Amino acid sequence: MSGVSTAAYFARRAAQKERVRILYRRALKDTLNWAVHRHIFYRDACDLREKFNANQDVEDVDRIDKLIAHGEAEYDKWRHPDPYIVPWAPGGSKFCRNPTPPAEIEILYNYGHEDNP
Amino acid sequence: MALRTAVLRHLRVPVTGSNQSQIGFLGSIRAFSSHDDHLSKQEVVDRVLDVVKCFPKVDPAKVTPDVHFQKDLGLDSLDTVEIVMAIEEEFKLEIPDKEADKIDSCPLAIEYVFNHPMSS
Repeated sequence: MSGVSTAAYFARRAAQKERVRILYRRALKDTLNWAVHRHIFYRDACDLREKFNANQDVEDVDRIDKLIAHGEAEYDKWRHPDPYIVPWAPGGSKFCRNPTPPAEIEILYNYGHEDNP
Repeated sequence: MALRTAVLRHLRVPVTGSNQSQIGFLGSIRAFSSHDDHLSKQEVVDRVLDVVKCFPKVDPAKVTPDVHFQKDLGLDSLDTVEIVMAIEEEFKLEIPDKEADKIDSCPLAIEYVFNHPMSS
């Protein structure tokens, strides 16, 4: 590579850093999904962090792209089939369970007396 | 009487909205709702600071409500990701990936958690 630091180079590096952060976040959540118990999770999280730290000094932009693609393929391979999702979030158990009723509806509490005005 | 009921069964009398102006504001408050805890700002600040102080790579003495994770505490970007995940677990939130990427410092985290309607 020519090593010229143009704005496009920095933009590409910033986009790669964001991809790495999002990949690390998803991989960490996946690790927690697979390893439910905290002591196992901490061990696996340390291993994951080591894997990310081993490549952190790479400067070649194309190699970084390949490493990120490889990481994302690994993440896709290891995705949990039933991840833990917070109940009120989409995909959780409480999502859309009690939606707020529309404001125009008024309930008449006259059970048994509907025929009387 | 029978004629009246027969007529009423087929007619639809419109509901009068005379009481709606009074419950305009109260409509947002539901009695016996299971979602009734909104955290106070001080509680959010305390819990976020506790989470940050318990992080092993952080010096607890330096943590104040307006530290920047990377500039003031000397953390890595991956450490920031870990802290955001710990905050998510503490407040039972689900932060979308794009939003979580932007949380870079304590005041941002506190503001996000405080403004989130489902934090508990």
